[in-house]
Amino acid sequence: MDARGFFSLAVFLYTAGGLLALLFNRAARTANLITGLSACMASISGIISAILVFTTGAGFSINASGWLPLTRFIIDVDQLSAFMVLVICFLAAATSLYSISYLNEYKQKNPGLLGLLYNLFIASMVLVVTVGNALYFLIFWEVMTLVSYFLVIYERDQRSINGGFLYFLVAHAGTSLIMVALLVFSAKTGSFDFSAFRKANLSPVLSSVIFVLAFTGFSAKAGAVPLHFWLPEAHSAAPSNVSSLLSGVMIKTAIYGIIRVCVDFLGAGYWWWGFLVLAVGTVSAVLGVIYALAQHDIKRLLAFHSVENIGIILMGVGTGIIGLATGNPALMTLGLLAGLYHTFNHAVFKGLLFLGAGSVLYRTHTRNFEELGGLARKMPFTALFFLTGAISISALPPLNGFVSEWFTFQSLLSMGVRGGLADKFWGPLFAALLALASALTAMCFVKTYGITFAGPFRTSKAEVAVEVPFSMILGKFLLAIGCLVLGLGAPALAPRIAGMATDLVGSKTVSVATGLTTFAGNPAQGMLSTPLLSVLLAGLLFLPLLIVAVFGRSGSHPRIDPTPWACGYRYEPAMACTARSFAQVMQSIFHPLYTVKTSFKGKKAAGEYFQTSLVYEVQEDDMWTRYCGRPLARGVLSLSRTLQNLQMGNVRFYCFYIIAVLVILLAVIGL
Amino acid sequence: MFNGSMFLIGLLQALLLLMVSPFFAGLARVLRAKMHSRQGPPVFQYYYDILKLMKRQEVRPAYTTWVFRATPYIIMATVLLIAMLLPMGTLASPLGSAGDFIVVVYLFTVIRFFLAVSGLDSGSGFAGTGSIREMGISALVEPTIMLVLFILACFARTTNLGVIGQMIASGKLPYTSPVIWLGMAAFAITSFIEMGKLPFDLAEAEQEIQEGPLTEYSGRSLALIHWGLLMKQVLAAALFLAVFFPFGNAATTDLVAVAAGLALFLLKIACCFCIAAVLENSMARLTIYKAPQLTWFALGIAMLSFIFYLVQV
Repeated sequence: MDARGFFSLAVFLYTAGGLLALLFNRAARTANLITGLSACMASISGIISAILVFTTGAGFSINASGWLPLTRFIIDVDQLSAFMVLVICFLAAATSLYSISYLNEYKQKNPGLLGLLYNLFIASMVLVVTVGNALYFLIFWEVMTLVSYFLVIYERDQRSINGGFLYFLVAHAGTSLIMVALLVFSAKTGSFDFSAFRKANLSPVLSSVIFVLAFTGFSAKAGAVPLHFWLPEAHSAAPSNVSSLLSGVMIKTAIYGIIRVCVDFLGAGYWWWGFLVLAVGTVSAVLGVIYALAQHDIKRLLAFHSVENIGIILMGVGTGIIGLATGNPALMTLGLLAGLYHTFNHAVFKGLLFLGAGSVLYRTHTRNFEELGGLARKMPFTALFFLTGAISISALPPLNGFVSEWFTFQSLLSMGVRGGLADKFWGPLFAALLALASALTAMCFVKTYGITFAGPFRTSKAEVAVEVPFSMILGKFLLAIGCLVLGLGAPALAPRIAGMATDLVGSKTVSVATGLTTFAGNPAQGMLSTPLLSVLLAGLLFLPLLIVAVFGRSGSHPRIDPTPWACGYRYEPAMACTARSFAQVMQSIFHPLYTVKTSFKGKKAAGEYFQTSLVYEVQEDDMWTRYCGRPLARGVLSLSRTLQNLQMGNVRFYCFYIIAVLVILLAVIGL
Repeated sequence: MFNGSMFLIGLLQALLLLMVSPFFAGLARVLRAKMHSRQGPPVFQYYYDILKLMKRQEVRPAYTTWVFRATPYIIMATVLLIAMLLPMGTLASPLGSAGDFIVVVYLFTVIRFFLAVSGLDSGSGFAGTGSIREMGISALVEPTIMLVLFILACFARTTNLGVIGQMIASGKLPYTSPVIWLGMAAFAITSFIEMGKLPFDLAEAEQEIQEGPLTEYSGRSLALIHWGLLMKQVLAAALFLAVFFPFGNAATTDLVAVAAGLALFLLKIACCFCIAAVLENSMARLTIYKAPQLTWFALGIAMLSFIFYLVQV
């Protein structure tokens, strides 16, 4: 079977598996098994199809125009689409295995329906990144949005309904912009085919208008600042396996859209396009992590980190667009390589972290990790894999997050070295901001891992937790291995991704790796060898072991004390560090960005300090949610109520509407 | 790509650093004592401490997991790896094909990350506070380090530490240039903070910040982690030297030249530690909440250096 066959099989398995799961809606365990296994098999089939495209170097297309209505239905898979399919299917395969057990949480809530939505969601994402026709692109885009909306509100509590509503609004505002951009294309070319869009002959103004529309529309879906406020609400409200897909891959379909429209169709005409993408990316990266630091809801924290990582991806894509616009193929390749590599890496480690958070939720039923602690002793595998993800997302060498951030730094350096004065100015500055973002990320994940998995049990919820079932461990294990492979395999993978970027714009190939070393277009610009670094690290571990063996006293066993020494104070678990104390440090520095409300409850008159207990409360309020999200939601609701006045149920008014429309139409035609 | 003799030089550097780092810390301590008109401990006190701790029984809180146990080894290995990457005795970076300054800066983050996680893993409130400060200060310092290094990288058109050092050694970027002395000033401040010196740290009250996460360590683990952190202090100075003062480093892999370069390197490190000790003792100690002011100041200087770089080009 060729790539095309495996691809069709994947789509068929998603759909069939979802429908079959719906049939077993009453038998929860069977339905979950069908959901997980069918999605996993379909994903494996998708992975095979993508790998076949990579190894043969040739894409494929499926033309099903004959039996589907409307315009031509065309699946058009080039290297970029195949890469996106690979990213989506890899995460989906791991998440689906995980779902087999995880979905038991939803036994009472129509598991079959959840299975159908889950499978349709993955299928729609796979189709969005492969379809070669604007109309069907919009249709699948809409299916993806709607299905994910239903998944977000699946728990039907107030929080998920609010989050879902915000998501629904922003996603549709974005979709309408994308729709306009694509319709302008088709108006100019007279076709809905992407292949025609590439040849479109657009005036500079029109192409800039399309760029702004498409970029705004897609960045709303990607969750870039300032259109990010829906993301933490929606992604944290969904079931964890869905959160993993939402944060891991759904927002990447928007990155795909940006690259497809701005680089592939429009050919990245102007410098300021790239700069806009780069600037939005940098702001998202820094603000995303600053807000994440203040969270103590594990899923909201991870969702804010998606804002940050989308920012880093956009930084890469932005430099790539600048490179293409200024006729610098090396910079173009490096930038897109950095962006696309980070796309894959983020999918893997964020998926892993969300699955880890889901495991914690599965056993403890609390998302507030101030109530947890010490879980590493109860859930050792989950802790190990979560730590792997934390190391990756903190960009610590030699794991995968570091590799793509390294390429981002290198592309910023290339930009600063070879570009004009503006590039020289912004390149190093953005690099410093990226360094800030990743240092804060490391801090944030020290907090997340440290408070959730390390230290004493803070409440009984943590104390009674046990390790999750095997399938949930297996799903995380696959992703943890993915983190390792994407990190250590960089010299093998980077040239493939770089080749994809050059293939997309048809420029000559730029070399990014030899042997075990990766470099940035030119070995003299700095080299990185993750395999060598990890071998050295492993080798150097023997030195301290040797020192201990030589100088240490053999046969001395450590004494295990029930509680920490704590500088001699009598120990209580409440003395251990809290997540708030991490946030407090940053809030004192970046306080204008947070809207923090602190309040005391209880008497605090002089002399009464020791008599009553005080309640000290701190509320962080994301300033964007307050000033953008909520007014938007309120505005739309009140507008809808105003529009309801049109529907007053009086037949005479409806007759009047009909006549008015007729008159207007006649007038328009007459002119 | 892979050069056998350079690899051996890297290994030599790592071992040398392992051997000498307690000496420099001891030197700083003796100097401080002299300035306080005290007798002070012997210069080799840290060696005795480490040897003694190696033989002591370890005490661990029951809360701790493998992260707590593995951290001393991870920190030691990471520090040694940084020592192999930095050019110390040679002009070229011994393992230039394995990593550049971005790798070095992020390997410093690896040390911090594990130190901080192990601090939280111990469950002690003091260790946790140390972890928070460790990570918080590093987040404030990192943009400055990156900006200064990036300016130099833009000049040298590379992130390879050896090449950047050679550019300065060959006088392509003269010391008279405000870019370099402003950059140097900013980097010196950040290195000073990285070395765990005043104004935020007090060496005699080691539980405070730099070593806060060490509170619960004991025995051989404490010896290793302490040793690793002493090496980290030397490395913070070594990074500064490798970038701004690469003079006397060997241009070839000739054994005599490398040995001379390494000897000179030790001398330079000793100078750094003496200056640091003098500065440290002539300074009042600040509360941690003042930290952002100093780091903003360093960032400001780095920005000035950056502006000069832009104007000159």
